Amino acid sequence: MLAIDVQDLRKQFNVQKNREGLSGALKDLFKREYNQITAVKDISFQIPQGEICGYIGENGAGKSTTIKMLTGILVPTSGHIKVNGFVPFKEREKFVKGIGVVFGQRSQLWWDIGVIESFQLLRKVYRVPEDEFRKRLDELVERLQLGELLNRPVRKLSLGQRMRCELVASLLHNPSILFLDEPTIGLDIVVKTEIRDFLMKINREHGTTILLTTHDLQDIEALCSRVIMLDDGRIIYDGGLDELKSRWSKGREIHFQFAEHPQLDNLRVLTDGLGVSWSQDNELTATMFLPHAVNVSDALARVVGGGAGIRDIKIVETNTDEIVREIYQSGSASSEATKKLGNVVALDKEAHQGNE
Amino acid sequence: MNSAYLDLIRIRFLMMLAYRVNYYSGIIIYAINIGAYYFLWEAIFGEQTVMGGFTLAQMTTYVAVSWMARAFYFNNLDREIASEIRDGSVAIQFIRPYSYLLVKMMQGFGEGIFRLLLFMVPGLIIVCLLFPVTLPTEPGVWVLYFVMLVFSFLINSQINILTGLFAFFVENNEGMLRMKRVLVDLFSGVVVPISFFPGWLAVTMKWLPFQAITYLPSSVFTGRTAGDEALRVLGVQVIWFLVLIIPILLVWRQARYRLFVQGG
Amino acid sequence: MMFYWSLCVEYMKNYAKTRLTYRADFWIEVLSDILFQGLNLIFILIVFQHTPSLGGWSEAEVVFVYGFFMIPYGVFGTFFNLWSFSERYIVKGEMDRILTRPAYNLYQIVLENIDPPSIFGSIFGAVIMIISWSQLGLPFEALDALMLVVFTVGAVMIYAGLYTALTAISFYSDAPTGILPLMWNIQNYGRYPINIYNKTIRFLLTWLLPFAFVGVIPASYFLDRHEEGLTTLALFTPVVGIVVLVIGITIWNHGVKRYRGAGS
Repeated sequence: MLAIDVQDLRKQFNVQKNREGLSGALKDLFKREYNQITAVKDISFQIPQGEICGYIGENGAGKSTTIKMLTGILVPTSGHIKVNGFVPFKEREKFVKGIGVVFGQRSQLWWDIGVIESFQLLRKVYRVPEDEFRKRLDELVERLQLGELLNRPVRKLSLGQRMRCELVASLLHNPSILFLDEPTIGLDIVVKTEIRDFLMKINREHGTTILLTTHDLQDIEALCSRVIMLDDGRIIYDGGLDELKSRWSKGREIHFQFAEHPQLDNLRVLTDGLGVSWSQDNELTATMFLPHAVNVSDALARVVGGGAGIRDIKIVETNTDEIVREIYQSGSASSEATKKLGNVVALDKEAHQGNE
Repeated sequence: MNSAYLDLIRIRFLMMLAYRVNYYSGIIIYAINIGAYYFLWEAIFGEQTVMGGFTLAQMTTYVAVSWMARAFYFNNLDREIASEIRDGSVAIQFIRPYSYLLVKMMQGFGEGIFRLLLFMVPGLIIVCLLFPVTLPTEPGVWVLYFVMLVFSFLINSQINILTGLFAFFVENNEGMLRMKRVLVDLFSGVVVPISFFPGWLAVTMKWLPFQAITYLPSSVFTGRTAGDEALRVLGVQVIWFLVLIIPILLVWRQARYRLFVQGG
Repeated sequence: MMFYWSLCVEYMKNYAKTRLTYRADFWIEVLSDILFQGLNLIFILIVFQHTPSLGGWSEAEVVFVYGFFMIPYGVFGTFFNLWSFSERYIVKGEMDRILTRPAYNLYQIVLENIDPPSIFGSIFGAVIMIISWSQLGLPFEALDALMLVVFTVGAVMIYAGLYTALTAISFYSDAPTGILPLMWNIQNYGRYPINIYNKTIRFLLTWLLPFAFVGVIPASYFLDRHEEGLTTLALFTPVVGIVVLVIGITIWNHGVKRYRGAGS
């Protein structure tokens, strides 16, 4: 069954032009002038239950707008959404009982009182029976090691502690879908790892579907089996992370450190016909660029077999950060990126249909 | 050195200018308040012609000019100082090569000039159109009134600074600031002229600085206080201005002592 | 219904827990609140030193109206503390969080901002009303107690409706309009006998911004003041309340719909 089903979703905003002065403000009250902006442009995607999906894109690409439509905050201009079997913006109050939402930059906890009090209040709001609430809370508290934090006021928590409490708050009513908007923003690496592990476990044990937006691609690498990439309101990539890497990374780099000054020409001769290229970094080191088509062992065999004394070898895979940066740079005029990725998306859709 | 302080006035003025829209509604609010008191006084006078030494015409003028003067001298220096003390940013002010209190005063003055030009003057014109206000005809009264207005501003700012600085000694002085505001409005004579107060209170007021903020200048403006008496009243303002410097310096010294020796 | 009641209790508990940490602040807020309101009472008391009546109303009667005015205002202030709604919920985006929770949005927002110290204003008002009640030698019947409750509820609905509508403006325009303080100042007209104002203001206060219905009109029911049909008009207080509240909530819901982009 699909947790999230989105068809041709579009959202347009009328952005108010504010006129100057009191007379302007009065005029604005009665007759406004607008600029129309399309934040989300007819996107479609499906997320099956139990999947962890990363939703990435630059600021202003339309991520938050999509999340807000999926959580029932905003009403779409056109298109169809079904989340958890509900149309989010209709029957809002019933629908939201089945989802959890964490906005990384905003707190849902009371600032001045113990965390546990906020949880109690949320229990009332979501009408969770007391015993079920206890069970759930105990489990979550143990998982995230919140024990002694529960009675502390939120203002005395560190950002990491607070974020862990926010996660608990969003999970108390046992939602089957969890929306996370920048859940790891501003956290240190230890807390980030903890949170990622926790989300993995929740996903595995309760089958919770998770959709997260993030700027930290490490989150994606650690958590997501699937990535949806947005640019200027359109989906420019939807598929596995590995796919993304293999199709987009330019290949690998192999750094060689030689015993003596290498002759680039000699090296080029050695690897002739493989389609690799060389560059000299300094006195003793040189780098070989390999496209994905070329086998690493073949290339290494040629160089090693060439008899040059090699002190050290380092293989560097282009990481996701670089890939994504690359996509955005080229995709700032988004058409180019779409074109490049066009075939990827097409292929991937087939793969998905095959899976389901 | 001096030009730095002048610059502070200018910057605050420009800052206020950026938020001027808020002040348009402020003018209407003041007009509403003046209107409410105008009708009240009209009903209070009823058949009587003179009350507390005021004729109805004088009272109308008094109410209008007092509220408009308040538009000029009112500022939030107390709140600003208190919040700078509470969030600790006041410590940074000590490493700067200027006097914190003078800086605050200059900022207040920049705000005052803004309020005078964009609040009090247009406000007074609107109020004169709406209500039967009689303006003085002698240029001398105008000059004297404006001099007194400057002292109103200075004395009110001094009181604000003094209450703001108390944030050094108590954890939360929000309530105190609110109470001060009520007391200043009442005792300065904006709400009721001091001559209406019951005897003992009126006498007490003679020995407190609040009357120098509104009651004295507005009395001069309405023509109730004239000639030598008007100059004497100006003298009262000057004396209060000088006297109030003393407690401010004392509190300030104590505050700095707390900040440096006891770490805030 | 049970659900909404239990939510209210829960939010109150949380408020109490928050405030236990700052107990002194609570009482300072109560005190400065009352002092703020008390300014008008002091005005009345001082003025009646000089005149026996205000537009035909005696001192005890005017004080009675003042006391009644405080009761619904205090209740309203307790539950409607949305003065910074635009800042907190629209600009900082907390509205999104509200909309991801399974309860009526306005109810959640109201409960998140309750301000119990305001209720002391009601108590203060009730005490003043009782004192002037006995001074006037008015009879007290069981029906009066019932009417007091009915009028209070009606008046609170008027406040709630008007301010809900005005707060909802934030959904339509993000520019600061300054309209809330404007309204707050206009409502003070409702404290005094309505016959002292001119026709325009009287009409405005009765039918457009019905602040006369939160003070002088219902109070005149108890005072038996029949002029201009005040006592009869008083019986319409709950009706006006319902109408204004329905209008207010309709505008609010329309605003929320607009916020969610469901078309305007």
